Amino acid sequence: MNFIKRGFLGITRKKGKSLILLAVIFILGNLISGAVSIQQSTDNVESTIKEKLGSSATVELDYEAIDELSEAELMDLEIQDVDIDLIKQIGGLSYVKYYDYSMPTYLGSENIESYQDEEMGEEVITHGPSMDFMLKGINYAPVLDFKEEKGKLVDGRVFTEEEIDEGDSVTIISKKLAEKNNLHVGDTFTLDSAVYDFDENGEEDLIGSRDVVLEIIGIFEPSSIKEDQDENPENGMMDMMDSEYQNTMYVPNEVVIAEENYQMEQLMQADEAFAAMLEEEEVTFENYTPIFVLNNPEDSEAFEEEVAPLLPELYTVVSATDQYDSISGPIDSMSKLAKYVLIASVIATVLITGLVVLLFLRDRKHELGIYLSLGEKRARVVGQILIEVMVIAFIGLTISLFSGKILAEQVSDTMMKADDHEPSFEDMMFVGEMQTNMTTDDVIDSYEVNLNASYIIGFYVISLLTILISTAIPLVYIVRLNPKKILM
Amino acid sequence: MLLEAQELNYYYQDGEQLRYILKDTSVAFEKGKFYAVLGQSGSGKTTLLSLLSALDSPHSGKVLFNEQDIKKIGYEKYRRNNVGIIFQSYNLIPELTAMENVLVPMSITENEIPDDQKTVVYNLLDYIGIAKDKADRYVNKLSGGEQQRVAIARALATNVELILADEPTGNLDEDMEQEIVDIFKRLAHEHEKCVVVVTHSKEIAMQADQAFHLKKGVLSTYE
Ligand SMILES: Nc1ncnc2c1ncn2[C@@H]1O[C@H](COP(=O)(O)OP(=O)(O)OP(=O)(O)O)[C@@H](O)[C@H]1O
Ligand SMILES: [Mg+2]
Repeated sequence: MNFIKRGFLGITRKKGKSLILLAVIFILGNLISGAVSIQQSTDNVESTIKEKLGSSATVELDYEAIDELSEAELMDLEIQDVDIDLIKQIGGLSYVKYYDYSMPTYLGSENIESYQDEEMGEEVITHGPSMDFMLKGINYAPVLDFKEEKGKLVDGRVFTEEEIDEGDSVTIISKKLAEKNNLHVGDTFTLDSAVYDFDENGEEDLIGSRDVVLEIIGIFEPSSIKEDQDENPENGMMDMMDSEYQNTMYVPNEVVIAEENYQMEQLMQADEAFAAMLEEEEVTFENYTPIFVLNNPEDSEAFEEEVAPLLPELYTVVSATDQYDSISGPIDSMSKLAKYVLIASVIATVLITGLVVLLFLRDRKHELGIYLSLGEKRARVVGQILIEVMVIAFIGLTISLFSGKILAEQVSDTMMKADDHEPSFEDMMFVGEMQTNMTTDDVIDSYEVNLNASYIIGFYVISLLTILISTAIPLVYIVRLNPKKILM
Repeated sequence: MLLEAQELNYYYQDGEQLRYILKDTSVAFEKGKFYAVLGQSGSGKTTLLSLLSALDSPHSGKVLFNEQDIKKIGYEKYRRNNVGIIFQSYNLIPELTAMENVLVPMSITENEIPDDQKTVVYNLLDYIGIAKDKADRYVNKLSGGEQQRVAIARALATNVELILADEPTGNLDEDMEQEIVDIFKRLAHEHEKCVVVVTHSKEIAMQADQAFHLKKGVLSTYE
């Protein structure tokens, strides 16, 4: 009849008392369980969305900071470039999985036709000379966009290091573009590198032109982002992004630089004042946009902190995950609510369970006094009570684990509906290289209340600790019991 | 001597002055004897017994068990290993059966207990006068006399030499009282226990091997 056995007998022989305690803990457990499960689900949403947003980051001018500059400061403003050495230095940081820097240019062609989405077709009105194709210079031979699953190679191969270094005239184009122009891997096509000057009336004036012949080494297909959204009439934006990507051609950076240089030379020949100005300022045309893919989206903050001091003035790090904050509205408010409910229910549980246990102990002081008079250690008497309370608590909490989850589903359903709104333009983010089509709806969609291990463990740890604390208070009562006063 | 009280003082603070319940009380008890301490209500019998059983501590003086200060032994340890206490109001645990009540101190004591605890308990209860069918009943379904027998069995369960009883027959009728006193006598004389009973009953005092009288905080031999 040791204290452990006494504890279990205490539960079974005093059923009324046990059931009351069970009911109290069950009700409070529902609150804790509901709050924990909402909290866990919102955490999950955050990591799921950040996962989807990807772990890329770039360095760009801090336009907000520039906006805040005074007129005078703007006059003296000398913006330094982010040069390749710095990009390589940042790329060498341990957070970075791989990185690239690229430079785009737009060229037109008479040899091939650009891809147009059938649905948009004629709506697109272009001004001036056609510059339908974006040449995206890259330095990372395996093509970062493919690694990041923005697109995937469906035919041919990616670049070799040699081709990148030498600036060979090779390219990877999209499947739709290839089909439209009946092009295959190994074929070549011609783009026009045309240079225009604009006179006062805005009329363009062709001042030079040369052919750029590119050999197709690979064909890619964008990873579908639009198929499942075709129903949505508001996705004109998506189509535009899609068309632009369909008309993108990957080339080594050197190819882009060669064309930029050619265009500048032509302009300088045509306009001497412009040439003089450029000479004076020693302007380079190598203006790369770096992109760093991190090992883990969670590294974003640490990466930003480490990179910030390396950057020239007025530059800032922009991470894909930064966007999360702007689309997480409904989840945020639910997460906050869950936190308050959790705190409140923990406090309520401590007080109410503490009170109930204290009342039961007062009822049983006679029994406890007997154990003490028989020379039982107070620690074991405490142990007996803990067993009684914790076993009942475990049962009550286990039931509420499930009912609390159902409760959480109901509550979050209602809350999400209240907070529901149509995806708007502002929800879509365009951050330089890192375009994404995540919206608040995606956030809501990825919200799911489920019973996973971390929820179950989190719930038991929090709730059992809470019960333990609430039992600890009345246990002081046992420690102070005086058996003589009770029994004699 | 098995148990010795040396110059015990115990008082209550009564306003400005101290009201002594026990004043320089010394007394000694040995094995194999049945003792009675007689005193009127309020004379301090329970107080004395609480000091001897380590449920309370004196303001000065000491209690020796086998020549050792019980404070040194440790009050809790002394209670679980060296003494069996019997109360006027039985103090059994109502949710447990008679047998289970007797099992409780067996799991608390550090004294050697035979492996076959249940058999030992049934035999002990039988010896005290509780048959097996009653031994398996919840104690609140037993009569007062039967409950007090269970309490005596509980005091004996840990194989102690010293039994201290506070008005053990206070709630019982005369016949039952005599049966309980007979048990105490047998324990002292046949089993070498030292039995100290605190009572206001002269009948019990008459049957004791030695009786004391407690009056105004002073303990004297009772003739
Ligand atoms: N907490 C207390 N404060 C003050 N006086 C007390 C307290 N407890 C007991 N007393 C007094 O101490 C005296 C001795 O009490 P005790 O219980 O030892 O008497 P007793 O001889 O056992 O009496 P009874 O035969 O009625 O059980 C009594 O006069 C009682 O009023
Ligand atoms: Mg008394």
